[in-house]
Amino acid sequence: MEALQHLMSGFATALSPLNLLFATIGCILGTLIGVLPGLGPAAGTALLIPITFKLEPTSAIIMLAAIYYGAMYGGTITSVLVNVPGEAASVVTCLDGYEMAKRGRAGAALGIAAIGSFIGGSVATLGLVVMALPLSRFALKFGPPEYFSLILVGLSLVMALAGKSLTKALAMGVVGLIFSFVGIDPIEGAPRFDFGITPLLDGIRFVPVVMGFFGIGEILVNAEKSLASVVMDEGKVTSFLPRRDEWRICASSINRGTWLGFFLGLIPGTNSAVASFMSYAIEKKVSKHPEKFGTGVIEGVAAPETANNSYANAALIPLFTLGIPGSPTVAILMGALIMNGLTPGPLLFSQHATFVWAVIASLYIGNVILLILNLPLVNWWAKLLKIPYNILVVFILVFCIIGAYSLNNSVFDVGMMIFCGLLGYVFKKLDFPLAPAILTLILGPQMERSLRESLSLSQGDYSTFFTRPISLVLLIITAIIFITSAWQALPSAVREESKGAQV
Amino acid sequence: MSTVDRIAWSILCAFGVFVIYESLQIKYYGSDFGPGPGFFSFWLGVLVVVLSVIEIGRTFGKRVPLPANFFPAKAGVARIAWLLGALVAVVFLLTRLGYSLTMFLFCGFLLSVLGKQPWWLTVVLTLAGSFGTAYIFRQLQVILPGGWLGM
Repeated sequence: MEALQHLMSGFATALSPLNLLFATIGCILGTLIGVLPGLGPAAGTALLIPITFKLEPTSAIIMLAAIYYGAMYGGTITSVLVNVPGEAASVVTCLDGYEMAKRGRAGAALGIAAIGSFIGGSVATLGLVVMALPLSRFALKFGPPEYFSLILVGLSLVMALAGKSLTKALAMGVVGLIFSFVGIDPIEGAPRFDFGITPLLDGIRFVPVVMGFFGIGEILVNAEKSLASVVMDEGKVTSFLPRRDEWRICASSINRGTWLGFFLGLIPGTNSAVASFMSYAIEKKVSKHPEKFGTGVIEGVAAPETANNSYANAALIPLFTLGIPGSPTVAILMGALIMNGLTPGPLLFSQHATFVWAVIASLYIGNVILLILNLPLVNWWAKLLKIPYNILVVFILVFCIIGAYSLNNSVFDVGMMIFCGLLGYVFKKLDFPLAPAILTLILGPQMERSLRESLSLSQGDYSTFFTRPISLVLLIITAIIFITSAWQALPSAVREESKGAQV
Repeated sequence: MSTVDRIAWSILCAFGVFVIYESLQIKYYGSDFGPGPGFFSFWLGVLVVVLSVIEIGRTFGKRVPLPANFFPAKAGVARIAWLLGALVAVVFLLTRLGYSLTMFLFCGFLLSVLGKQPWWLTVVLTLAGSFGTAYIFRQLQVILPGGWLGM
């Protein structure tokens, strides 16, 4: 009850005209930043911190939080419309979102993404009010062995991301992992696979690979035919809402995405890409038509987008309650809090209650603003597809070049993006799925670090993964996913034979 | 399995062997407890080889025709070459000519060869894609290379 009272007073502060204005400006700026490839939520939030210098602390954080989730939604727009994800969490949205856009359903894809993001974000904010402290304490039980097992669950999703061939998906997953090990070894500092090329010592960055695989790869495939003849959107965007028959499916997907994103957001060190990939894989698992995933099914957009936004809001729980930033963007928000004289952690709630509850209330209001802003704008965004493709291609490439270069002010990253574009083209032609390679590229370094840290802590004893209850449960889940996916991948004749033998 | 698929799996197999070889040049066990820097990559290389061998072996002797239009027509190959050539040129010119001039050439070239819009539109779009984007991103404090002329 006390929490609710605090929340009400928080709403009173957050709903002041000035704070509402800052939240709206933050949402608009965040969405614009998210639309620009290469400027993900972390870079966008950092870039716009100076704008908030002259504001009082509550307004400043309200605006920065709005920029944060505005940027998360902005990344979705480019994924759906031009197959270029602005940041890691939007990669999986490309798989079905872009296919929907190609079929003239960009409006519905962006609409359900906005609705899912709103629901996911709102539920996570409510969770922040009700369960913040106990859940954060639970999340603190995650040590290196638990992280390793959780990452294994993530890696096992490679099987679920498989298209027609499980072997191809596994091979791509392994290739992604090998790419992720390029550069300085995280524990001993030994250089690996650098071939004397200095920029490779920093490892292969995720953004050039994604832009190459998805953005440039797709352009090269389309370039096989006359680009002037490529029609992205054949009809008028009639609706930004799903069809009547799709609502029920979307409701379940949004529900699952919300809880998954919320749970993962509580665990510091995870990232929103894991949430969106996992939710996509779960949808594919529970779907009655998994073979249609990747061809433009709406739940393939609804679930990951919901999970991604739910994650973004839930990731603030460990920040506010424990002072632990769960992701790079949240770390930037933490820096902004400290700059404003507020130290995140358990004492924040007692010492600066007015501030904390106003920010929590503003999260909810921000989600409403984002929905109100973006639903009417869906048609405008979708109109981008009316631009002739031969012109659109040139601008997509310009933004990809800026995105890759600005990561580290390095031409090497532009070269890496082009190389990955060529690889992406070849893989697409050969029907090798790209998503598993992206998933493992993200998770590879975390997996290696947590395994080696776990073994250092246990002095080389591998049983540490089986004797810790949370880790054991996660390993069992991994095993179940592996076995069921492998079973489903077996040719039906072999499965029938096996069943016959059992009878 | 088509011949192209077989070639693809063979290249992957060779890549796996290369990864194994490179991994053996790095420490397999760490100085601490457990795996060293070369542990994972070694076993991943082995996994790539195993998957490739399984896939080649599983479909040995089975011939599947390539999908229709697998190989692009001559005009398609030319368009892909233009795109890739222009992108590679950007890598070489970006730090020398600077962002604005490089993108001016890049946009002008691609808009001319890929589309058939009026010349004035090509000029406007080229200016927007080069000097226009340079202005916007520099306003956003994104650092873009200036090159010899500082543009």
